[in-house]
Amino acid sequence: MNTTRLYKIGSAALICVMMSSVGCSDDFLTQPPRASLTVGSFPSTEQDAVLATNAIYNITRTWQIATGGFPLLDMMADDAVKGSNPTDGIAISVYDKFEHTASEGSTERWYKTLYEAVRRTNLVINEVPSIEMDAALQDRLIGEARYLRAYFYADLVRGFGAVPMVTVTEPSLDLGRTEVDVILNEIIYPDLEFAISILPERSEYPAEELGRATRGAALSLLARVKLYYGEYEDVRDLTDQVISSGEYDLVDDYAEVFISTNEHNEESIFEISALPDNFANGGNQYGNTQGVRGTPNKGWGFCRPAYVWIDEMQDNVDPRLDPTVLFLNEVIDGITIRGDGSTPDTTRENGAIVEIECYNQKVWFPGTDSRESFGHNRRIIRYADVLLMHAEALNELGQSAAALPYVNQIRERARGGDSNTLPDITTTDQADLRAAIAEERYYELALEGLRYWDLVRTDRAEEVLGPLGFIRGKHELFPIPQSEIDISEGRIDQNPGY
Amino acid sequence: MSATILSAQSRTYTGMVTDADNGEPLIGVNVTLVGPETGDFTGIDGGFTITANPGDSIAITYIGYKNKGMRLTDDTDLKIVLELDSRQIDEVVVIGYGTIKKSDLTGSVSSVKSADITKVPTTNPINALQGKVAGLQILNTSGEPGSNPVVRLRGVTTLNNNSPIAVIDGVITDIGAIALLNANDIESMEVLKDASASAIYGSRGASGVVVVTTKRGIAGAPRINLSVERSVESIANTIDVMTGREFATYINAVNPGTYNNLDVLPDTDWQSLIFQDNAAITNANASVSGGSDRARYYFGLGYFGQEGILPKSGIDRLTAKLNTSFDISNSITVGLDMAALYTDKENAPGVIQTALRAWPIDKPFQEDGVTYAEVNGGNPVAAIEFSNSFSKRLSSLGNLYVDVEFLKNFRFRSSLQFDLGYSRNRNFSPEFFVSPLQQNEVNSLSYNTGHASTLIYENTLTYNIQKGDHSVSALVGYTAQDSRNEFINGFTEGLIREDPLFWYLNAGQDDLDRVSNSFGRSTLVSYLGRVNYSYAGKYLFTASMRRDGSSKFGVNNRFGNFPSFAVGWNMYNEPFFPQSGILNRVKLRASWGIIGNERIPGDAQYALISSGTSAVFGEGETIQPGATFNGGGNPNLRWEETTQSNIGIDLGFFEDRLTAELDYYIKQTDDILVPLEPIGYTGIGAFRSIFFNAASVENKGFEWNINYRNRAGDFTYEIGIVGSTVSNTVTNIGQDIGADSLLIGGDLGNGQRVARTAVGLPIGYFYGFEVEGVFQTDAEVESSPSLFGQRAGDLRYRDINGDGDITSADRTIIGSSIPDLIYGFNVAIGYKIVNLSLDFQGQRGSEIYNGKQAIRFATLNFEDKFNDYWTGEGSTNEDPRASLGGINYQPSSYFVEDGSFFRLRTATISISAPDGFANRIGMESANLYVRGTNLFTSTNFTGYSPEIGAASAIDGAIDRGVYPITRILTLGLTTTF
Repeated sequence: MNTTRLYKIGSAALICVMMSSVGCSDDFLTQPPRASLTVGSFPSTEQDAVLATNAIYNITRTWQIATGGFPLLDMMADDAVKGSNPTDGIAISVYDKFEHTASEGSTERWYKTLYEAVRRTNLVINEVPSIEMDAALQDRLIGEARYLRAYFYADLVRGFGAVPMVTVTEPSLDLGRTEVDVILNEIIYPDLEFAISILPERSEYPAEELGRATRGAALSLLARVKLYYGEYEDVRDLTDQVISSGEYDLVDDYAEVFISTNEHNEESIFEISALPDNFANGGNQYGNTQGVRGTPNKGWGFCRPAYVWIDEMQDNVDPRLDPTVLFLNEVIDGITIRGDGSTPDTTRENGAIVEIECYNQKVWFPGTDSRESFGHNRRIIRYADVLLMHAEALNELGQSAAALPYVNQIRERARGGDSNTLPDITTTDQADLRAAIAEERYYELALEGLRYWDLVRTDRAEEVLGPLGFIRGKHELFPIPQSEIDISEGRIDQNPGY
Repeated sequence: MSATILSAQSRTYTGMVTDADNGEPLIGVNVTLVGPETGDFTGIDGGFTITANPGDSIAITYIGYKNKGMRLTDDTDLKIVLELDSRQIDEVVVIGYGTIKKSDLTGSVSSVKSADITKVPTTNPINALQGKVAGLQILNTSGEPGSNPVVRLRGVTTLNNNSPIAVIDGVITDIGAIALLNANDIESMEVLKDASASAIYGSRGASGVVVVTTKRGIAGAPRINLSVERSVESIANTIDVMTGREFATYINAVNPGTYNNLDVLPDTDWQSLIFQDNAAITNANASVSGGSDRARYYFGLGYFGQEGILPKSGIDRLTAKLNTSFDISNSITVGLDMAALYTDKENAPGVIQTALRAWPIDKPFQEDGVTYAEVNGGNPVAAIEFSNSFSKRLSSLGNLYVDVEFLKNFRFRSSLQFDLGYSRNRNFSPEFFVSPLQQNEVNSLSYNTGHASTLIYENTLTYNIQKGDHSVSALVGYTAQDSRNEFINGFTEGLIREDPLFWYLNAGQDDLDRVSNSFGRSTLVSYLGRVNYSYAGKYLFTASMRRDGSSKFGVNNRFGNFPSFAVGWNMYNEPFFPQSGILNRVKLRASWGIIGNERIPGDAQYALISSGTSAVFGEGETIQPGATFNGGGNPNLRWEETTQSNIGIDLGFFEDRLTAELDYYIKQTDDILVPLEPIGYTGIGAFRSIFFNAASVENKGFEWNINYRNRAGDFTYEIGIVGSTVSNTVTNIGQDIGADSLLIGGDLGNGQRVARTAVGLPIGYFYGFEVEGVFQTDAEVESSPSLFGQRAGDLRYRDINGDGDITSADRTIIGSSIPDLIYGFNVAIGYKIVNLSLDFQGQRGSEIYNGKQAIRFATLNFEDKFNDYWTGEGSTNEDPRASLGGINYQPSSYFVEDGSFFRLRTATISISAPDGFANRIGMESANLYVRGTNLFTSTNFTGYSPEIGAASAIDGAIDRGVYPITRILTLGLTTTF
């Protein structure tokens, strides 16, 4: 080949090289993610604001948000035991026996998911105010987000005590624990007060928005938090506002409170909607976790009603027993509960019955398919609880007589017209009434995750749960997950006793 | 020019030069008359002609062969036989973007040639390097057909992807791509170990580079190779678990009276029910190669089929290899190298764990013998029955190039390289019922397809010149790479029929269809340069530089610079070096360089906002869409950099019958990229991690590769020893994650994290309580440091801080999965036509966390070890009381096992056909062999195999249950025509 041709080819090749390398870098080396937005560009429109707010509700439907997936609070209290069959959930039984350590998966899932939820709320609270959009909607969305942030933080401080206080989406990595008082006064109370001032009442929402946070929900949640910290005057005033709002009433029949055809009923103040399908399609595994094990196959069967509770309800001839507990061979919605072959029907210790195979009926959803059990709407705050909180606050404030009608509304509804049982409470002795209200909460609100904290806040946990393993000074709080302590190199320290 | 010195007596000598080993004619041998320096090269038939006088001397030289001198006599018909030079000092070694004579090499490079590559029956030729390359660790973590091993070079440098990269015929790709190739098509594999060798690959060479060169045709008549192998494989060892009686006894020890009549209980050995013995492997290959003076070709076709020891785990694989090159003119060559692969694999369900944990007192079938029975822990036999999971994959890797030589010493090469892949997975689950927890209420189908492509446009210009004693080779280049991948996943339920004809999304119910689609893209541009200089074959110098820009980092951290320098000294070429003596060769090497790593997901820098976080609202309960954070990102990510120093010495003794290559290296890796679970309150969610530049790690160690070969008459023998030590120390933990001395890993998924990474210790060491024994009495518990709630029969943990109590502060280092020593040795003995070769390999000083024993969510069968439970004072000080979970399952040394092993990896006996016989039936050569693989393993580890790899280095090696490795017997035949 002659030299001229060689040069031609050589130069052509060199031009190729030059062309390919010139001006390439910046554009070629910028490859943003596809099909996803990135932080900073969202939320930026009214529609974004709604999406970001809906995503907070999304996390209330996740499995882990409920104490890490398993209803630990009920299992640890005296209204339920671990459940399932004896060989399943060994890792959960440690909570039932108060042997849990700082390295349990459930606690860690719960803690981390609560902070994931907090991050979603902070996105809305910090970013939505600067969006140009319908002002009323903007206020409402921020109000919903602040209600939900308070809801998550209330779980955090009640469950873990002092915890890192995070109010931004990208927190500094050197945070330590913030005292409970500070979190209450800087986050939970102001958030809920804001929500009370801005959120619509339930009746003011259009029908298609049912399930969003309401003014009534914010009032009730604040009352629940105040009750935990013993601020009875606030509890009385807050619950009074709920009662006098006229937004809520007790469902006539206790047996109708939890059924699937009576979701978002007049008694429901905050409820997490779910569809009978997998999580992506709107389901919530909360009901499946506790669903009947075996036949019909409704779930794993965790969180079994405690035999002591059943026994007491039977002694009291309390009609609420039946709507709360699914017994073997019971027929419900045309389906016979056969249960699980590997679970003993009756478990005895020293001849005495300690456990019978039965299931939490409050999470029952009709059908024989496990998928349908994802359709249970978890009732978070009921009007019945508000009435009992109101009664308790009045009694604690020395207005025992005024408290009676509120407890007795609950008793009356419970007895369902059967005058032979659950007579009205008449005592105005503060201590007697205090005990009566506590018992009423035990019967009325069983398996709803409230009993454990009731015992802790009234300092009766050692008395009632001591025989089950509760240790005063330790089990009032869950352990901070060991990983959190290890990753922070001890800057975040452990709760006492763990 | 020689005419002037021709004398009257000069004669014309003709002759032929052949290879001593196989008698083949040698082409291009230099035959020179000593003195006047005239001569000839041998032609295609090995022949040459030279004019000389009787009494003159001629020198016969040929690269790779021993030089030969001879004094001419009156006999003008010369038969010259050349012997291969065992010193191989002029062996050509493939390095990045070129080749180099081994004697000129300054870096640390190990080379494995084709004969060693085909020894092990495998879908992945990388396995051939096991035990052959000092410093290289290949862990076959699974015996599942088609699985790829974990490959590590010189320890764990990074915390994420520690695999070396592969360069296949010039195409930079992932180490897994070597599985695309058929071992029979590979000419050589070179492992570039130090910075000098690998820095030219800049961004991706930090964990080493494996350069694969496939066979090419040479001019001449077609050569045909045929080989066929047939093997049978069986599980190498089972895991001892409790029998029915033992299990019931154990349960009775926990809950007295649970089983009253042990004699009537079944005893099911689940492992024997799921594993099949003597599963077949078929491996057949054919290749043809040849060429004319202007074109060369190599074409290979291979089939590999493996049933697998687990039903429904088989693989069928077809590979094709095409290498062609054409000389368009004397200075321009174009070529296409291409490999294509098709695999069809059935994916067995994850039943191995189930088989280890299913209760032995349960039976697979009900009384009728056909209906599946409920089994505690799951019925593995039924799980196999109802599994229908298939993967198909089509991949192609290739290089289309043009080479232009110009101005005498320049060569320009432009190539377009491609790495394309298409995969399809189909998974059908029928409606079935075994038990309430093992059933599928509605049949379902998932169907995924993925497309991946990497295109590389590469241009290099090389300049080679030799003037006197100076020899220079220079290279500059530019490359741009664009990688994309896209997945479409579909899912449906309620298929109208369950027949395979209906395993398509359209057969499902529309309202239950779900589809998802994701896409990723990353780009890279690089500028590279290198100079090799050698003076008189004695002094060697190499310098290289690469500048890489990656889309994986933010604008300010995009580019990284990766220089290297190396020097070498061939001392044996010095005049002062004694020419006779035991020691005949000494070469010293030293190198330093920086190499980068950017192997993180393309979008790791971004905190993503994703849709799909819907809520349910309204009286009618409808879904309303939502969008929010999807994990987290780190916008500050930057290049991970490894600075490596290497010194080495190459020695030859007894005319290179004994050779030794010794290296010492120090690798310091900074800004290690690692996915970490950040502190929980950041709210990225449980079990989610973000990439950080988190730490610095130092690896240092010795490597040796010693070979001795000799011959005594018809008897030949060869012994090779390779080995390496690794010392791995974390030198710094970055501030980026809010921690300055500690990283947490080894998540067992049950809230326990058993591994840590801390300054001054190896990466991912195991962390937990150190077991001192077993509490014999409650009184002993009272009087000793103990955990809350402990009693007699519980493990007694060491009170590390001596405060009289056992708390989380008493956890300590309880092991490390990084071996102190990795070694291999091989022995080959030949006598006439019979050859025996044995390959051994092993490692020492590594520990494994037996996660499958430690994770217990439910009551499942126990491993044999638990039979020795504590039964009362004095019964044992080793194992705790019988329990189903809880306090004795805390992370502790009780679950840490020694991962050391020594294995006879292959033993091969081969018989080659005697020359006369082969020729008579028209063959050039034929070889019949029997080989055993994994025939013998010595280890104390109780799992299927101690070759456990860590998914991420900060997790350590945790045995969570693996597909067992297998013992294979093979009968094979190779022939060349």
